[in-house]
Amino acid sequence: MILNPMDLTNKKILVVGATSETGETITNQLLNLGAEVVMVDDNEERLITIADKCNNPRLNFNCIDIYNNQEIESGMKQMAANFGAFDGLVFCAGKGGVRPLQLTKNNFLHNMMNANLYSFIEVVRCLTKKGSFNNGGSIVVISSVSSIKGLKSKISYSASKAALDASVRGMAAELSEKKIRVNSILKGWVTSDMKLDFIQDNMELNKNEDFAKQLLGVIEPIEIANTVSFLLSDATKTITGISMLHDGGYSL
Amino acid sequence: MQQLISFQEKVILITGASAGIGQQTAILLSNLGAKVILLATNEDKLIETLGLLNGTGHQYFCYDLSNLEEIENKVKEIVTQCGKIDGFVNCVGIRSRRPLSLLSIKEVRNVMDINFGSYIELVRCITKKGNFNSGLSIVGVSSIAAQAGGPGVTAYAASKAAVEAAVRCLSKELAPKNIRLNTVVPSQINTPEYAKLLQMNGGVDNVLNRQYLGLGEPDDVANAIAFLLSPASKFITGVSLPVDGGYLSS
Repeated sequence: MILNPMDLTNKKILVVGATSETGETITNQLLNLGAEVVMVDDNEERLITIADKCNNPRLNFNCIDIYNNQEIESGMKQMAANFGAFDGLVFCAGKGGVRPLQLTKNNFLHNMMNANLYSFIEVVRCLTKKGSFNNGGSIVVISSVSSIKGLKSKISYSASKAALDASVRGMAAELSEKKIRVNSILKGWVTSDMKLDFIQDNMELNKNEDFAKQLLGVIEPIEIANTVSFLLSDATKTITGISMLHDGGYSL
Repeated sequence: MQQLISFQEKVILITGASAGIGQQTAILLSNLGAKVILLATNEDKLIETLGLLNGTGHQYFCYDLSNLEEIENKVKEIVTQCGKIDGFVNCVGIRSRRPLSLLSIKEVRNVMDINFGSYIELVRCITKKGNFNSGLSIVGVSSIAAQAGGPGVTAYAASKAAVEAAVRCLSKELAPKNIRLNTVVPSQINTPEYAKLLQMNGGVDNVLNRQYLGLGEPDDVANAIAFLLSPASKFITGVSLPVDGGYLSS
């Protein structure tokens, strides 16, 4: 018999932000490891496409605008009513953005914080209400190495990810009473990120100092999916409150 | 005798200056020769603090930093009246303690706006051309909560971690203008806010078990701030300096 410490059989996992390339890859890998998966995102067309492609009875989805704080509470209630209590949450929604200080005004800050911090806190607050999340469950959120390393013109993005990691530590301490674990992954540059405009801008801005630093090269989404699975699984049942580096050596 | 740290004729703006760490920093900097600009919400306490300062030329401004929209005008007013700024110490901040189940988005946003948003807006406005002198040093007050988690401090910890991350980016971005930015990271300090916290917890503070140098005093933090403000630390930028009685390393 082959022992799989990352086995997710009989675990019900909610993937928020599932329609990005990384989100889709995570969804696929969780299914491969035996989990039941519910995808959430605001792009219904993409949700249907991914569900059709996977064609797996263990996969469901729900269309919720995760950046609209008003929708989250009712959305999470509906999820628990439809699918029962969850064992895991993967939060891979979020936004990027590059702006120098003089253009970093409060509205821009607010939008970044809303996408990368407020929506995560609100999802966890609503999902950890009685009956929606099982004791012993695991929460994994995608953060960034920008949380601990500064780059030019990434003030608000870095701040939002550092705030996210700090919120993870606070939640982990608090939810430990229910044996719910909360961790984040500080990802470095992933191939799918490279297609995004803001990353292109960022590479241009910081080209002389930065990209060679990812010693092992660019990360594939499947590698992030594996780290997510590891932190969701019982193989890590005493790991909580950490921000795990997955950065190809970027931060060294 | 050589004086390592002197702020003779330097203009230093301190927010949250009317109590605790901010007040103690104002007193220390005035003793070191600075012209101190106090900014806080409570006028009575500002006047009281002004009375504790050494020397002349200090001023105070009554302003509520949760009003983010008017910060730009307030900075202009300050520079017009007091001259270009040589140093900025951000001590403003609200402590928020709420369990996750009561942590509404509104509360999170409020904490982020005051502890993080106002800091960024102040830095943005102060670093505009004509508002500062070359060699400007900026010191923010963070907290051990930013680096170590605790139950009920999710939003507060997030806001302080955001400040520390922003400082790492800003120090790179503003280095060409000869501006340095750092934060101090205090643990439990004997301030009015701490007294309130202790009262809420029935006089018991478990943090002190790990803070093996005991309870800190406001002047412990003020000394660290003065060092980071002064040219004695001109090669230090982008750091978070723990002033924590050993907490984070134990």
